[in-house]
Amino acid sequence: MFLQFKFLIILRAIWFAAQIAFFGLIASRMVVPALADIYFEYYVAGVVIMMLYSTSVFIGYDIFEEAEHGVFEYLLSLPVSRRELVLGRSIGGGIRSFIFVGPLIAIALFVIGLENPLNFLIAFLALFLFAFGVSGMSITIAVGLKSSDHFDILMGVLNAFIIRLSTTMYPQTFVQDASQAYAVLTNFNPVTFASDLFRWGVGIEKYLTMTPMPLAAIIGLVIFFFTFTFIGVTIYERRLEGGGWQ
Amino acid sequence: MSIIRTIDLTKRFEDLVAVDHLNLNIEDGEIFGLLGPNGAGKTTTVLMLTTVIKPTKGTAIVGEHDIRKSPDDVRKLIGICFQEPKLLWVSTPWDVLNWHAKVCGLSTQERKKRVKQVLEDVSMWDYRKKKVHGLSGGMRKRVEVAKILIQRPKVAFIDEPTAQIDVVGKHKIWNMIRELRDEGSTIILATNELYEADILSDRVGIMHKGKLLVCDTPKTLKDSIPGGDIVEIQLEKEAPKNALEELKKFPEVVDVATVSPKNLRIYLNKVQEVVPQIMKLFLKNNLPIMSINMSEPSLDDVFVHYTGLTIEEAEQKGSSR
Repeated sequence: MFLQFKFLIILRAIWFAAQIAFFGLIASRMVVPALADIYFEYYVAGVVIMMLYSTSVFIGYDIFEEAEHGVFEYLLSLPVSRRELVLGRSIGGGIRSFIFVGPLIAIALFVIGLENPLNFLIAFLALFLFAFGVSGMSITIAVGLKSSDHFDILMGVLNAFIIRLSTTMYPQTFVQDASQAYAVLTNFNPVTFASDLFRWGVGIEKYLTMTPMPLAAIIGLVIFFFTFTFIGVTIYERRLEGGGWQ
Repeated sequence: MSIIRTIDLTKRFEDLVAVDHLNLNIEDGEIFGLLGPNGAGKTTTVLMLTTVIKPTKGTAIVGEHDIRKSPDDVRKLIGICFQEPKLLWVSTPWDVLNWHAKVCGLSTQERKKRVKQVLEDVSMWDYRKKKVHGLSGGMRKRVEVAKILIQRPKVAFIDEPTAQIDVVGKHKIWNMIRELRDEGSTIILATNELYEADILSDRVGIMHKGKLLVCDTPKTLKDSIPGGDIVEIQLEKEAPKNALEELKKFPEVVDVATVSPKNLRIYLNKVQEVVPQIMKLFLKNNLPIMSINMSEPSLDDVFVHYTGLTIEEAEQKGSSR
């Protein structure tokens, strides 16, 4: 079934390659020469997390397609609890995004290298929680809004905040220099947790946001995952009453 | 014993009352036809009973479980056949049925066996690997019906089971529905095909504008129309007045119309019981009968009787609700 998305996977891979080959290489020239290579690796790791975030959000768009085709009624009539259904959707969305991003992670490992496979394995597993949590968040927002237009706009705005106020593209020290308030928000951002974990996993530890790693980031992702799974279940039960989808 | 009992079940969508204080009992092991034009509230009722949507007011007991308090338990008892397969991420009949069977908890071995068997039963085995979206409406419907046959739920809700299906296919599906009932399932048939409901259902409930108008066996409902049965009799000679007067005295006879001096049209109830007596009366009066033609009312007539509208008229009015 994932072959249905091969066009999407190819385009994402091209986007990723362009992002690191053009933007990453050029932007890293802007930092002091001694740190240019480190920033390039830092940026590649950040782009992987940005991709993981954006592909995990796709599940929300699926929800609208399902509503349009009446698939909801079928899913809601199946002999499974709402909790199992939302969990299934979140986990399914997360796994799908990993399949999309898997080749990009491989490219990132090729570019950055891998120092400690065990660290990487821990980070990799924790990133699943991140992907499941983002999928749960996307489902929650889609079901809560019941409007594909509103969802599209809101996800664009959310993307602007959640990615920009994270450490995907710049280290926490620079965020703090810019604004203390930004730094606080960045510290509680799941994208920051995921970015830091991935960098810890591949061995770019110099610019991590939190200490001690990786426990704080893992705890943050666990909380993120459970919060949106719980909210997702609640919203799913309350809002999916049939009709009202735009 | 009732397997479904609705208690003032009501669903409101903003200003529209889709289902209005529905009180209904469905017996264990029967085929219950839920009839009515589009927009009558049948599908909303089915969606509430299957816990897909929550009632605005009232509740229902399915098995021993309240749809509001124990929806998870209700869903373990029920299965629903929609108008067509509703899956986006699997694309062939085999995948649709295999996925459904998996979610319903069938073991791998049992699943393969049952999916194969049912695909053969609904004549879809040769098409098992075709894309569902490329199949005809009738074939898609057969795949949807197959889901219920694989699941064999305690309570099966079937929405428009033979829509878009040819005559041969209809009979096949009707037989499968009967077999499912014989195996112990209770069937709730939501349809606007009154003939289908008539021949399949043990009892029917007629809905109109969200309300249950009447509920009984098809025969009782048809008998409830005063003068619903019609007997047309052609006599060898003109019937004398006294014979006609005597005929009108039968308690089942509602009216006697003289179409022509030798042709009578009699509006009555319980035609099968009364016709021998009518024949006896004409023979007693030395009036040989040349031909006799009997017709019973249909559920269409029942619908007209209770609503004052044909089902087509009701649909037109319903669409402007």
